[in-house]
Formats: sequence, structure tokens, C-alpha cells
Amino acid sequence: MKYGHLTLKIFLMIVLNDIGDTISQALMKQGLIATGISSVGMGNIAEFLSRGVSSPILWLGILAHILNFFIWIIIIYKIDLSIAMPVGSFSYILVPIAAMIFFHDRIEPLRWLGIAFIMLGIYFVSKSKSSVDGRPGHG
Amino acid sequence: MVKILALVLIAEILTAAGQIFFKKSANELGFHDLKKMGAHLKFLAEVFSKPALWIGFAFMAIGLVAWLIALAEGDLSLVFPLGSSQYILILFLAHFMLGEKIDRMKLVGTLLVVFGIVIITITH
Repeated sequence: MKYGHLTLKIFLMIVLNDIGDTISQALMKQGLIATGISSVGMGNIAEFLSRGVSSPILWLGILAHILNFFIWIIIIYKIDLSIAMPVGSFSYILVPIAAMIFFHDRIEPLRWLGIAFIMLGIYFVSKSKSSVDGRPGHG
Repeated sequence: MVKILALVLIAEILTAAGQIFFKKSANELGFHDLKKMGAHLKFLAEVFSKPALWIGFAFMAIGLVAWLIALAEGDLSLVFPLGSSQYILILFLAHFMLGEKIDRMKLVGTLLVVFGIVIITITH
């Protein structure tokens, strides 16, 4: 059955999904930093891949990413995209905050402005008719 | 910066392509009554016997590699928002492949996402 309104259980599932998104991206970034390669070209892509596949943290991030994908599929199976998408877009705030804390990213105000436009855009897309009808378009 | 944005776009295109193959393999499945004993195993066996599924996995895996290269080269707070470019792709793919209508809300929303990506890209 598909819910037209947000229940606490589904809200928590979406929040968990946002947090999962943040954790998986942070783990992948940490694993990539550990490879010591910050510029990938034809000359070192083999080296990049071999260091990547031997990084447990990177694999943990990829596993979390795949798990999160399946949780998202369950969420959009249970609830309209018009509700799932705006709550789901909080990862666009959580991920940069995690990047500030764990990787000391310096985020210019204009980057936050860009993120705000993206979230506003997702909100508009989520309120379009086909999202309210509940046809999944995002996964 | 151009390289990072290009890598993210390639990653999103390949991921979207992978999802279309997933959808194609799901459409090819026969009926399974999952309430019956042992039906789940038969269902999974049929799911994994579809070549379209494996093609989908391949596209997604290559897409993930492109994403990881972008993430290796750029800050997480820069690369992650660029991933919202998936909304641009979805607008076109849903329209041309699934026949979904593009209404005004969807168009305005997608343009706002584009605007956000442009701001992040040019101010980097």
C-alpha cells in the first residue's frame, strides 16, 4: 500500500537514508584520500583502481551506497515522490556539513547558495503532477 | 573543474542507463506468487538470469568508477551537489523513454537545479 501522507516511520526511514547517504559518501571520500591519488589520468588510472579496490574503507562506502539505494527503492515504493524527494534532499545539506567536519572543506557562501537553489529545484520537481501521482523517477 | 563536472555527468548518465536496463529486466519477468513456498528462490533465479540486469550492473559499476574519480579529484562538498544533475537527465529520460509529460513545475524545478549547479561550478 502507498501512503499519501508522511508517517513517522517513513519520515525516519528517509532521514536514515539521508544519513546513510552522508556516511557512504564520507567513507568513499576517506578511502579515496587514503589512495594518495588526487588527480587521475590515463597514466595512473590502473594504479588508482588497484589502490581503490584494496581499500576496505572505500568498499565499506560502496556497500553503504548500495544498501542506501535499496532503502530508497523501498521508500518510494511506500510513499509518493512528492513527499520523499524534499525530505530526501536534506542530504544536500548533511553531506557538505560532514565534509566541513571530517575533511575541513571550506564552503564559500556562494556554494551554499547553489545548494539552496538545487534544493528549491528538487522541491518544485517534487510538486509536479507526475510526482504527486506517485510515479517513481528517482532511484 | 570542467573535468570534475564532466566526470559527474558521465557518472550520472551511466547510472541512469543502468537503471533503464534494470527496469527493462524487471519488465521481462514472468509472474511469481511470492506468497508460495520456495517462490522467492525461483524469482531470484529468474531475476539474475536476465542479461539486461547484468548490462545494468555493468553500466552502474562504470558510472561508480567515474563518480569515484570525481570524488578523488574534488572536495566532497563540491562533487556531491553536482550529482543533482541526475534531475536534468531524469526530466529528459522520463519524457522520451517513458512518455511522462513535462509540466511547468518540473521544468522550473529542473532549471533551478541547473542554476544551482552553474553557481557552484563558476564560483569554484
